[in-house]
Amino acid sequence: MNQLVYLVPLFPLIGFLINGLGRKSLSKSLIGVIGSGTILASFIVSLVLFFNVKNNGAVVVDYFNFINIDSLKISFAFQIDALSSLFLLIITGVGFLIHVYSTAYMQDEEPQHYGRYFAYLNLFVFSMLLLVMGANYVIMFIGWEGVGLCSYLLIGFWFKNDNYNYAAKKAFVMNRIGDLGFLLAVFWLIAKLGTANYADVFAHASSLTPFDVTAITLLLFVGAMGKSAQIPLYTWLPDAMAGPTPVSALIHAATMVTAGIYMIARSNVLYSMSAVTMNVVAIIGLVTALFSATIALKQNDIKKVLAYSTVSQLGYMFLGLGVGAYTGAVFHVMTHAFFKALLFLGAGSVIHAMHHEQDIRKMGGLKKHLPITHLTFLIGCIAISGIPPFSGFFSKDEILAAAFAKNPVYWGLGVAGAAMTAFYMFRLYATTFLGTFRGTHDQEHHLHESPSAMTIPLMVLALLSVVGGFVGVPEILGGHHELHGFLSSVLTTEVAHESSKNTEYVLMGISVAIAAIAIIFAINKFSKKPELQDAQGFGKVLENKWYVDELYDTFFVKTTLAKAKFLKDIIEKNVIDGAVNGVGKLVNYSSRQLRLIQSGQVGNYILFMVLAIVVVILLWVNDNHLYQYISKLF
Amino acid sequence: MNAIIFSALAGVVMMFSGIFTKNTSIITNVARVALAVLIAVNLLDTYGGWMIAVDTKNLLSFNKFGFFFNTILFVATFLFFVLSGRDIEKVGSYTAEYYALIFFSLCGIAVLTSFNNLLMMFLGVEIMSIPLYILTGADKKNLKSNEASLKYFLMGSFSTGIMLMGITLVYGATGNFNLPPISSAVTGAVVSDSIIGPLGLLLIFVSLCFKVSAAPFHFWTPDVYDGAPSVFTSFMATIIKAAGFFAFIKLFEERSSDLRVSWKIIMPVIIIATLLAGNITAVFQQSVKRMLAYSSIAQAGFMLFVVYANNNSIGKEGILLYAAAYSLATIGIFAILIRMKDYTFNGYNGLAKKEPFIAAVNTILLLSLAGIPLTAGFFAKYYMLAAAINAGGKSVLWLVVIAVLFAAVSVYYYFRVIQAMYFKEGDAEVENVNNRFKFGLLIIAALIISIGILPSVLLNWFYF
Repeated sequence: MNQLVYLVPLFPLIGFLINGLGRKSLSKSLIGVIGSGTILASFIVSLVLFFNVKNNGAVVVDYFNFINIDSLKISFAFQIDALSSLFLLIITGVGFLIHVYSTAYMQDEEPQHYGRYFAYLNLFVFSMLLLVMGANYVIMFIGWEGVGLCSYLLIGFWFKNDNYNYAAKKAFVMNRIGDLGFLLAVFWLIAKLGTANYADVFAHASSLTPFDVTAITLLLFVGAMGKSAQIPLYTWLPDAMAGPTPVSALIHAATMVTAGIYMIARSNVLYSMSAVTMNVVAIIGLVTALFSATIALKQNDIKKVLAYSTVSQLGYMFLGLGVGAYTGAVFHVMTHAFFKALLFLGAGSVIHAMHHEQDIRKMGGLKKHLPITHLTFLIGCIAISGIPPFSGFFSKDEILAAAFAKNPVYWGLGVAGAAMTAFYMFRLYATTFLGTFRGTHDQEHHLHESPSAMTIPLMVLALLSVVGGFVGVPEILGGHHELHGFLSSVLTTEVAHESSKNTEYVLMGISVAIAAIAIIFAINKFSKKPELQDAQGFGKVLENKWYVDELYDTFFVKTTLAKAKFLKDIIEKNVIDGAVNGVGKLVNYSSRQLRLIQSGQVGNYILFMVLAIVVVILLWVNDNHLYQYISKLF
Repeated sequence: MNAIIFSALAGVVMMFSGIFTKNTSIITNVARVALAVLIAVNLLDTYGGWMIAVDTKNLLSFNKFGFFFNTILFVATFLFFVLSGRDIEKVGSYTAEYYALIFFSLCGIAVLTSFNNLLMMFLGVEIMSIPLYILTGADKKNLKSNEASLKYFLMGSFSTGIMLMGITLVYGATGNFNLPPISSAVTGAVVSDSIIGPLGLLLIFVSLCFKVSAAPFHFWTPDVYDGAPSVFTSFMATIIKAAGFFAFIKLFEERSSDLRVSWKIIMPVIIIATLLAGNITAVFQQSVKRMLAYSSIAQAGFMLFVVYANNNSIGKEGILLYAAAYSLATIGIFAILIRMKDYTFNGYNGLAKKEPFIAAVNTILLLSLAGIPLTAGFFAKYYMLAAAINAGGKSVLWLVVIAVLFAAVSVYYYFRVIQAMYFKEGDAEVENVNNRFKFGLLIIAALIISIGILPSVLLNWFYF
């Protein structure tokens, strides 16, 4: 099966090239078929690889020497093991559904932009596949940067709107800050161990000093903060909603933002060695989960709610990583990919029906107009709220159980966050689908269910959101946790399951009960009487996202711009330009003078030559003295 | 040995072809065929296929490095014939003789790449140079051409005298003309008790500096290059100059580490003077042709690093690369220049609009001369500087920094041409542009870029 490995990223790359180069000549339907078909092909190959890993274990396929400097050898190699094959399925599977969905969602675009869209999307999938398939940190970094680039391109897809461009820039800059951490960590690894290969790094990890391990893992975590939108680098993700909705579903919910979790899960050997880093990861994850959940409570843009919800769920995953529940975190990545992609695509369907209206205050009562969207969205909401037996319950419960084992406070805060999640999701649901329609008459007239290219992916994802959790049914509920067994070859487990069965039942019961209460409360509160006015008091703080953007703007953006202005107006104009022009003038002047030696008189030339010979002989005679003198000078 | 014999024969053939036909295009084609044969027999020689063995009594010694150098220069000459053959025909009415002279010059080069004896070196230099005196004055009715020819001859004779003096002194100190014994005799004990041997070597050094137009022995270069018919300037500035460097390397190859001590000051001084004179003076020129003359001095400054780095493999690889990169680019630029109506910078105004292909190729070649990455010129310069650092370590870092700074200055005058072509309005005129000319340019540009991306391909061939 090893000879198939390269096909997985190759298909999307071909799709990117065809759609990118032929965007002006290909028809829309052909672009759509190529765009989706290549991902489907990758998905099929990924399935084959997945079962191969399941039956025969991991493989590393080494293609060629990518970088070869001195003793450092970095090969272009792919590693297909339990972790990466699972991610391959998520990326290509969910990716395929979203591509299909996009063919209908983007139908209004002009052909060349339609082609550009699919080219970017394919390029994204290609980069994401590189990220997870690479057998060393350098290949991962190529993918890491590639997905960042595609994210930038797709957020600013409608580049005629300056706000969107600003959002794209913000995402890119924030990601760069994280990337710096990632890069430093990789350099640190290379400096200490002389290799970036996963296998070699993990085999020799014990030779690193505790300080090195902590520094490397923290720096890697900085990279994860940027890519996976954790405090303090999370502000770009809500703004990234400027991109087309399927992009938000694919990149900013299901795949790219989980790259940070993938990377830490991949490096679990290193992380487990540093207790400090583990605590930092857990605390940052928990704080992010709570913080962004509070913001989501008061957002009125359907995509913004989902965006903050994504940040919050990512926080849960980091909490899971931080308490050592690597499998739980990866499990949550998977279920989250299902239900969050479903929710985003559902939101896209709503936005499609509402003619690009995103404010939920202007919706309401969409239940009867969009039956399929409504039903699938509801399933997504239940799944994310953690109601059994939907998928979100199992994964979230696993993280919370591990958190309890580590520190009950983590668990308490986690459950509080879960309650908020249930509350804002059903606030969103109730305001959008229940009650009466509050939009214009014209909008109501045009309300329609989306075409089947959009509803079929919704149904598939809804099904997955329902049953996706069954691969990880914990033992106390009579399951075997198949995922755990599958991933055990890659992920270490260090969660001490010290809590008794009864404790676990109680914990589970409490979290489900609280979520259920929050759901009932939210439906009651918002189905009849939605919040239409602007929030007051503390609600206003939440609505304005705790003013973090303003804070960053004042402290970082403005000061940086001020420095830039100083450099531009003072240093650049006077010092640099002065030096450059000065050198230019000096050269010009000396050129004019030197030119005069060239008099055209042979007699003069020969005189100069004779003098030069004399000088050369003198230099030679006094060579040693002169050399010593010059050596002293330098 | 093949190259020496066949180039001389080709020269004779060319002289006779002038008797049998006055049709210049036939003559040009004969020359191209003869040169192709010359390249072929030299390649045969390189790989030991078929060679004329003559016992030279150790006066000449052949090795792969020399053969390979021949190949590069012959191929460059071939491209020169392809691109500028028509222009050679236009210089005057003795087309066949011009070709004959070029072949004799190539014969001198073949001797220079294989000499093992100072007398042979002297012969090679003279066989190479004397045809050039004539070619410089080929435009008989043009006073500038005559003046340049006379100047070149006078100063060339002067440097020949110096070289002979040097050889004499070396002979006096050591008692023989062969290369290795002289070098070893000049070192060590002899240095301490006799000044004669080293002084002789110094004089030979000076006259070779003259040949490769290193400052302050470069004064003839701008005048001669400017006055000579442009086609022959192209030949002199590239192929001849590169051959001069080969003589340099060959002579100093056996130089021991003791000797290097005594070059510690002279070499840097010469290099800096050459870089200074070439680069700085080029800045102020108004004629592209004259600018190229100074640029050739500046490039010589870089090539001198190989002499400084003496006998290390990076330097030897580098000079091959440099010879190829520099000769190809300059031949191409000259080929375009020759067909321009106006030789000043202003004459290039607006060329990009009128002849986008030619402007693009010209840009690539100029970028290569400036040493911009992805062109051959970048790696050529890189190898030169790497060779110096390899030989001298940290103590030559300052020299390398100076060289890089001067390379930055050179960007100014090379880019002036690009600027004129692309960013200025005007109606530049190029004459006689046909498809073969464009094809030749395309090959040169492709070579420059492919060497710039994969320099090791050329070098691997060398080690093959």
